[in-house]
Amino acid sequence: MSDDARRPTLARRARLRWDAARAQHVVVVPEGVLALTAEGAEVAALLDGRRSVAAVIDALAEAHPEAPREVIGDDVRDFVGRLVARGYVTLEAP
Amino acid sequence: MIDPPVALLAELTYRCPLRCAYCSNPTDWRDYGDELDTAAWARVLREAAELGALHVHFSGGEPLLRDDLESLVRAARDAGLYTNLITSAWRVTRERLAALADAGLDHVQVSVQDSDAAHADALAGTSTHAHKLEAAREVKALGMALSVNAVLHRRNLARVGEIIALAESVGAERLELANTQWHGSALAHRDALMPDRETLARAQAVALAERARLRGTMDVIWVIPDWYEDAPRPCMDGWGRRFVTVIPTGVALPCPGAHGLPGMVFDSVRERALGDIWREGADFQRYRGTGWMSPTCAGCERRDVDFGGCRCQAFALTGDAARTDPACPKSPDHHLVRDLRRERPATAMEPEGPLYRIDIRRGPRAS
Repeated sequence: MSDDARRPTLARRARLRWDAARAQHVVVVPEGVLALTAEGAEVAALLDGRRSVAAVIDALAEAHPEAPREVIGDDVRDFVGRLVARGYVTLEAP
Repeated sequence: MIDPPVALLAELTYRCPLRCAYCSNPTDWRDYGDELDTAAWARVLREAAELGALHVHFSGGEPLLRDDLESLVRAARDAGLYTNLITSAWRVTRERLAALADAGLDHVQVSVQDSDAAHADALAGTSTHAHKLEAAREVKALGMALSVNAVLHRRNLARVGEIIALAESVGAERLELANTQWHGSALAHRDALMPDRETLARAQAVALAERARLRGTMDVIWVIPDWYEDAPRPCMDGWGRRFVTVIPTGVALPCPGAHGLPGMVFDSVRERALGDIWREGADFQRYRGTGWMSPTCAGCERRDVDFGGCRCQAFALTGDAARTDPACPKSPDHHLVRDLRRERPATAMEPEGPLYRIDIRRGPRAS
């Protein structure tokens, strides 16, 4: 099974929000805050448990026709992998 | 430009059915009975969120003793805050936990006093241990994040491995192993609670090995016992820098232990908006930044790392809250800590007699 077929979901204990006081998107977790870049926030908003990793990459490639798809793919897999390692995203079977 | 706080510590009440000797609340906690009402807390929560806080930690005392806790959780969520409940889980029912989850509670931290009911209930002065474990499992079943908190001291340090196993068995995602900090009742019981170096070193080795084993499953946080370290604790990550505390009566403080310092103004959220107090309140300005520092701290390369340590500890040990924390080896007063440390006898396997939270009544607080 390709990892790209799995469906990433932001964990219940991790909340994506706009932090107006610091003008940045953040993921708030128990006792911590992860600051996101604008690109990171765009990816995080797509981790809804319905889209597969491949579908997330498709959606971003469509929104950013100027960016090479391979670069988007690498960035998404790296970003999701880091959130999974910290327990803020779970990967569900397709 | 003063950065906004990241979190509000909302101490809803100092009432608590447990009598833990290590309690850091003020020893005259009974005199803080004039608590903010629901509407006032709801306003404080909104003001904290507008100011830039992202988390609220509902604490105490035992916050479950507030009948309006569900309303306050809902108000916090409506304001956009990430909500955390720090509790003993005392007599909490499945129905109440479900109502809190429904109100939007994100994270629950359940305290345990020891690894087994006999030791834990003796320390808490009430029979709670078995129920805590049931409540912790219920928190998980309801989909909330779960932490277990354990305060460590002379009477339970030898069982730190068993405490870790307990937290693992209830499915906690985080375990805070907090070595006792010497405020309130804990300070009064320092001789009975402070461990010897050898017991502490063994416990630390166990905790660090377990932390490595559990990486990815449960975050094990070891809060340093600052009297035995090479650097002071970076208390509150700096005075008036990241955290704002509001105590039961409505006084806003840079640190929950700051009550006891001399010369405090004690601005209350009953009279001033939280943002005003944070930015301009005299108590928040007093030890903010580096301008107040003694030459020892001002000239130190770690001044922006540990912020001079703990003001309350500096006051408790030297009588001057602006001195370098004596826990720091560079402090001219470090001998005070060294001497007290050296006097520690080896830890007995079974401690001598009961030991409870100090309970002094001085008379109601006006603010």
